[in-house]
Amino acid sequence: MDASLLVIQPASAEPIYRQIVEQLRRLIASGQLAPGDLLPSVREVAGLHAVNPMTVSRAYSLAEGEGLLQRLRGKGMAVAAQRNASRTAAQRLALLEPQLAALARQARELELPAGQVLRRLDQMMGNKAP
Amino acid sequence: MNAVARNVAAESPAPLQAGGLVHRYDSKAVLDQVSLSLEPGSVLGLIGRNGAGKSTLIRAMLGLLEPDAGSAFVFGEPALKLPDHVKERLGYVPQQPDALAWLTATQMFDYLSRFYPRWDGRFVENTMQRWRIAGDKVMAKLSPGERQRVDLVRALAPQPELLVLDEPAAALDPVARRELLREIALRAGESGTTVLFSTHIVSDLERVASDIAFLHDGKLLLHCPVDDTKERYARLWLPANVAHAAPASVFGKRRHEDGSVSVIVERDSQGAWPDASRLPAARVDALGLEDLFVEIAEP
Repeated sequence: MDASLLVIQPASAEPIYRQIVEQLRRLIASGQLAPGDLLPSVREVAGLHAVNPMTVSRAYSLAEGEGLLQRLRGKGMAVAAQRNASRTAAQRLALLEPQLAALARQARELELPAGQVLRRLDQMMGNKAP
Repeated sequence: MNAVARNVAAESPAPLQAGGLVHRYDSKAVLDQVSLSLEPGSVLGLIGRNGAGKSTLIRAMLGLLEPDAGSAFVFGEPALKLPDHVKERLGYVPQQPDALAWLTATQMFDYLSRFYPRWDGRFVENTMQRWRIAGDKVMAKLSPGERQRVDLVRALAPQPELLVLDEPAAALDPVARRELLREIALRAGESGTTVLFSTHIVSDLERVASDIAFLHDGKLLLHCPVDDTKERYARLWLPANVAHAAPASVFGKRRHEDGSVSVIVERDSQGAWPDASRLPAARVDALGLEDLFVEIAEP
């Protein structure tokens, strides 16, 4: 995996170490990162994104503690063999729950009907509107 | 007595430590009982509005200014009487570098390199080249951005254990700023350099700082790890009909024109928000550091 695959948004209300863990979780759940894939070193991530290396280590340790990653002696971090190797669509959808809840709230504030929002979402995700 | 004093000193003292700093200009208190300490290897971002007292605090902590009250120590030595062997371990970039401006950068580097045993000549050469700064031009003729970068190179070349930067990014363009942040982050991570930098650009601070200190009207309002700040504080908004239930907050309340109120709240020891956040129509919004800063600093 290349360090540039991660997107860091300092201005977000979510701390940077959490942003990293959540992205790893999604990349692994979708299969974009497969068990055994090596992660970029803490230095590579910190250097590319100009973030504090301790933040990156903290994210990696947290992900290791959750069983997403495993430390390989002399090689660094790798994607761990996942207990539920192939996640169901429902499990993957559950990972989007916080973002969907925020979207739902904002759509209500704007008094936009769900159908209209869904059509736009569909377009953004690259599907032709039905 | 002496043996005790030596033992305390041997336990590697904090790179930078200040207690009860008070300073007045005319009769206005610029620093009002500020105490601050940096752990080795930490990167402390000092944030505050223009005129909040950031530069004064930095100068007092380094002994460049004698405070009206309080004390400051650099690696355990009184800041006002720093011995040379401590000065060697310290790199400082003031907001407006103007020292030795009649020299060229190359002349200055040649001159200074003799005083520092750990001077990194290769770093100087590489960085000056990468940043495309003319080393043979008299520094007074460089642009403010170039001048600031030369001064950063000057401060980093001796490989200091403590790096103090006063608004280092002020005159830098976004690319140079990112490079500087990368340098700070990697030095802290790999060489264990302790860094104190002041800024009003919050996104810079969020990237590289491990800790954050908010200075407001000469008082230190907040000092904690960056990640904690985002998780521990939020904005509670209450509509007018329940505005009276707003909890007290050290950061004060903001009353809006429609009678609603917003207040910065903090999680309790169990991680719960104050009771008022569970009132109907109450809203708790997580905040980025910039929003938190504005909420606190806006009158």
